[in-house]
Amino acid sequence: MKADTIVARSTPPGRGALAVLRLSGPATRRVLEKVAPELSAPPPVRRPTLAHLVNPADGSTLDRGLVTFFPGPASYTGEDLAELSVHGGVLVSALVEEACRRAGARQAEPGEFTRRAYLNGKLDLVQAEAVADMVDAQNAALHRTAVHQMDGGLSNRLAELREALVELEALLVHQIDFPEEDDPPVPVATVLERAGAVEAHMEGLLATAPEGELLREGALAVLAGRPNTGKSSLYNALLGEERAIVTPTPGTTRDALEARVQMGGFPFRLVDTAGLRSQAGEVERMGIEVARRYLAGADVILLCLPVDMDWGEPEDSFVAEWAPQVPVVVVRSCADRVPSTDGGAEASAADEGASDVLGGAGDVPEGAGSVAGRVMASARSGQGLQELRTLLGRLVFSGLVKMDAEAPVLTRRRQREGVKDARGEVAAFRQALRDGVPAEAAVSHLRSAETALEELLGVISPEEILDQVFARFCIGK
Amino acid sequence: MAAGRDGYDVIVIGGGHAGTEAAAASARLGARTVLITPDLDRIGQMSCNPAIGGVAKGVVAREVDALGGVMGRATDASRIHFRMLNRSKGPAVWGPRAQCDRGLYPRAVRRVLDELEDLELVQEMVSGLIMDEGRPRGVVTRGGQVVAGRVVVVTAGTFLRGKIHVGGEAGVDAGRAGEAPSLELAEALEAQGLELARFKTGTPPRVDGRTVDFSRVEVQQSHPEDYRFSGYVDEELPDQTVCWITWTGRELRDLIQENLPRSALYGGALSGRGPRYCPSIEDKIVRFPDNPRHQVFLEPEGLHTRELYVNGLSTSLPLEVQEAFLRTVPGLEEARITRMGYAIEYDYFPPHQLRHTLEVRSIPGLFFAGQINGTTGYEEAAGQGIVAGINAGLKALDRDPFTLERDQAYLGVLVDDLVTRGVDEPYRLFTSRAEFRLLLRQDNAQERLGPLARELGLLTPRQADALQRRLDERSRVLAWIRDSVARPDEVNPRLEEVDSTPLREPVRWVELLRRPEVSVEALFRGGEAPFDPEGDVAAAVEVEIKYEGYVERERERAERLREKAGFKLPEELPYMEFETISYESREKLGRVRPSNLAQAGRIPGVSPADLQNLILEVRRWRRSRPADASQEKGEAAAKAEKAG
Ligand SMILES: Cc1cc2nc3c(=O)[nH]c(=O)nc-3n(C[C@H](O)[C@H](O)[C@H](O)COP(=O)(O)OP(=O)(O)OC[C@H]3O[C@@H](n4cnc5c(N)ncnc54)[C@H](O)[C@@H]3O)c2cc1C
Ligand SMILES: Nc1nc2c(ncn2[C@@H]2O[C@H](COP(=O)(O)OP(=O)(O)OP(=O)(O)O)[C@@H](O)[C@H]2O)c(=O)[nH]1
Ligand SMILES: [Mg+2]
Repeated sequence: MKADTIVARSTPPGRGALAVLRLSGPATRRVLEKVAPELSAPPPVRRPTLAHLVNPADGSTLDRGLVTFFPGPASYTGEDLAELSVHGGVLVSALVEEACRRAGARQAEPGEFTRRAYLNGKLDLVQAEAVADMVDAQNAALHRTAVHQMDGGLSNRLAELREALVELEALLVHQIDFPEEDDPPVPVATVLERAGAVEAHMEGLLATAPEGELLREGALAVLAGRPNTGKSSLYNALLGEERAIVTPTPGTTRDALEARVQMGGFPFRLVDTAGLRSQAGEVERMGIEVARRYLAGADVILLCLPVDMDWGEPEDSFVAEWAPQVPVVVVRSCADRVPSTDGGAEASAADEGASDVLGGAGDVPEGAGSVAGRVMASARSGQGLQELRTLLGRLVFSGLVKMDAEAPVLTRRRQREGVKDARGEVAAFRQALRDGVPAEAAVSHLRSAETALEELLGVISPEEILDQVFARFCIGK
Repeated sequence: MAAGRDGYDVIVIGGGHAGTEAAAASARLGARTVLITPDLDRIGQMSCNPAIGGVAKGVVAREVDALGGVMGRATDASRIHFRMLNRSKGPAVWGPRAQCDRGLYPRAVRRVLDELEDLELVQEMVSGLIMDEGRPRGVVTRGGQVVAGRVVVVTAGTFLRGKIHVGGEAGVDAGRAGEAPSLELAEALEAQGLELARFKTGTPPRVDGRTVDFSRVEVQQSHPEDYRFSGYVDEELPDQTVCWITWTGRELRDLIQENLPRSALYGGALSGRGPRYCPSIEDKIVRFPDNPRHQVFLEPEGLHTRELYVNGLSTSLPLEVQEAFLRTVPGLEEARITRMGYAIEYDYFPPHQLRHTLEVRSIPGLFFAGQINGTTGYEEAAGQGIVAGINAGLKALDRDPFTLERDQAYLGVLVDDLVTRGVDEPYRLFTSRAEFRLLLRQDNAQERLGPLARELGLLTPRQADALQRRLDERSRVLAWIRDSVARPDEVNPRLEEVDSTPLREPVRWVELLRRPEVSVEALFRGGEAPFDPEGDVAAAVEVEIKYEGYVERERERAERLREKAGFKLPEELPYMEFETISYESREKLGRVRPSNLAQAGRIPGVSPADLQNLILEVRRWRRSRPADASQEKGEAAAKAEKAG
């Protein structure tokens, strides 16, 4: 049974100047003949060509657009594919899409183009995931990572690691399968060292996983503090829209509010919570309970305290409770209430050592030496917000910020689990060799490590070990 | 009207290593069997190097024996030099290898075949198949005989349209040096719509031992032990002799490089692919020009001949070049060639056309075994021969088929690789092809396969007794090692010898054996062990105790594989309709038609994700076919049974 031909708009709906429709499948040419009858048959290959697009039912012109034809298998999906650039706006593209359906195409399901690319062997699993990431990417960092992975960044790194394991296995297997050859045995130390290098690379990849996964999910940033300290106002200011209710009455916010927002180029889930205090009504107490649950899962906490309020016991005990587990940023809110100073942010990133210097009118909080940074900010004037955003990005995504933009990043749990399994097996392999377990037994760990990576990439190729053996050694009695 | 022979259940074509095992197995099952081969004096002939065994191959030879085969006994009765390869490594990868007397081996094969009442031998060349409604009904021979039989096993080796080449000369039609090829049979099979392809291989020159200067080569002694390939019958071992080793040098390399265009293998006269692991010297020089030397083994062809096999110098260069390059090898400066090295190319049938029983998928009743399935080597041929022969006999007797899984035997690995993965060069076994290396050992072949052979009826009563004795011995030794206690005064001297901490209190033997530095041999050598410290049982004990964790790991993996193998894939699945599976995989699945999920996963290019989707597709497909609903239940029941 042959696949059918699908069509869908591939640019997001909205009022852009151009919209692009994609057609893919064996009937692509036939659809083009009906929808763009001016084009030569067969259509020019990989060359955008201007043509009238018509409704096949009555021949009426719908638009004038650029048509580019990519014959399979050298196309994105591996099938015959065409891209139609038409004028932007919902109506025109909908009409052209309708015309393609009349000409024999079917509306594509979400992700169907990528699925076809994967099924036709144009993408491996990791790359296909990257495409999904890219489509979902609401933030610059994930987008950058996804583009790189789609080009094979992570796949290549995983494939390299697997290749290194296969080579290592081949070294050992060669000695088992061809004992009569006169190549000298490979010293155990060499094998250990090479396995160690692979393990270190895996370690490096795994280190990107916590932040990489946050790239997809968004880091949880929780606003906390006593009631009436400007949390909801800051929440609204950081989101750029009035989402939370703000009143001068303490205890306004009862339930937690969550929204996605990009800060410093990175994705966050920003949460506003009920102000924390001991004497509170029933509803408020429940709100505080919810707040504590968010705090427990937070990637970063913003502790709010207006500049004109004194640091007190509640702040001390808050910092003492949370700062050991998660970075706490002290936001001196309502900064506009005091005469402007240089404001801004102070980060005390772990590797620079804590800094206690607090600019401007802020008092130096007791026992708050362990906070990750302080910012003077105002929801009203906007002062300090940009610094706060940058600081949050740097605190949560410190690893990624320092990393080369091209370096591969694990963005999914599946990827992390796979690499972790592989790393564990390589470690077990080294331990086994050190314990004097013979190669023929220890090698089973290498196999398992390879399998873990193969499952990640979605490839298996059992012949490779032998290929390696034959490529390296002159075998043949 | 041609002379007729009938009354046979099974017809085996070809008397090589595959054919003799097939015929013997079928006859032992009680199927009336006829073996037809053009020269009864060359039954079991060794076309190439007269050696049996090696790493992985040695295990196969023992597995064939465990199933009641011929090869083990014939090897014991003809071996004149023996080495246990990998002796310095763990017993899990020991590989017994025997150099045989080229004359004694076939004679021993013939003797074993002559013991079989239900087997007849006929000297003839088969020239055609008699078919009826797509099934075989018999064969016809060049001599005009018609032989009737409903199950046919083809084991024609390198003979199908065989062509041999020496030097740049045009090839000569031959099945082996000095023997006629099989042309009509190749055509008859092709006419059945079977896919054919071509492979090539080569053999080195033999020299007259009286012209070799043995003072310039290294002697390789035979290992002294009384090793047996056969666990059932104690054949009398011939006298043992030595082999020799020498090396090629730069001069030889230069000569070969100059003469490359004259090589049939290299000059392009041969089109088929050759094996990478048994390369010609031309190949070695081209691929590894920087290796300063290549090893050459001089192996005696027999006890009563001085002819030597020059192992490592397989070639298809012209005679004068062969003579010239031999002169550059220390010890062979004056050597006279008795038989030239040559290359051969031949037809084979890409084995994805077979089932795991080695029956041709499209022609029920027709079986293929040996080199015609794209393999190389005596052991690989014999292994397939016995699998095909057993299944041919079972089919003729209307009994259920017999297949081996990858965790049961190298034979399982061999057949499964052939059928699910296919071949793109002549296929040979390596330990690296087996994912259950620690389970598939030479020492436990009989424990693994003997009981199956007994159940099938492949063993004589005496062989069944021998098996029982071994199984009992094994349990007895294992129990003794686990339960009895070693006294410090008894073992401390031996522990000191291997730098192992001496005992203060008595401990069970099993605890001592868990120490990495303590081997069974070191512990019991010369002592009063209640078993042979060099025997199979000792090796088994060592692996199973010392690498218990690893053996356990393999057993668990095997178990998981079994679970996958429990998910059956009906023959008629419409793979091309399974749109969630990659196009490439659909095509491959449709071609191979694996019988279960585990097999599907081993087809190259079928990814784990494809397998996941395959499960869903098959479930959906079954639901859409009410008649088949029972099968899903069957599967669930099978699972429950396993769990219980
Ligand atoms: C030149 C050469 C080099 C080799 N080199 C190597 C090597 O380097 N390494 C290695 O491992 N193996 C090598 N081999 C392979 C090894 O010899 C074979 O793998 C093994 O013998 C195959 O066994 P078989 O039973 O399949 O076929 P064979 O041993 O070839 O037996 C085939 C039998 O079928 C008979 N026959 C053929 N056609 C008919 C017919 N129409 N009717 C009746 N009988 C027929 C033949 O007479 C023969 O008895 C080589 C073989 C040759 C010929
Ligand atoms: N001048 C000034 N006033 C602010 C600023 N931010 C908040 N306020 C005022 O502070 C009061 C409390 O603000 P909210 O944002 O509701 O404070 P909250 O912490 O969310 O309070 P609860 O939800 O009750 O815990 C309101 O009257 C705000 O108008 C600011 O940046 N500058
Ligand atoms: Mg609030």
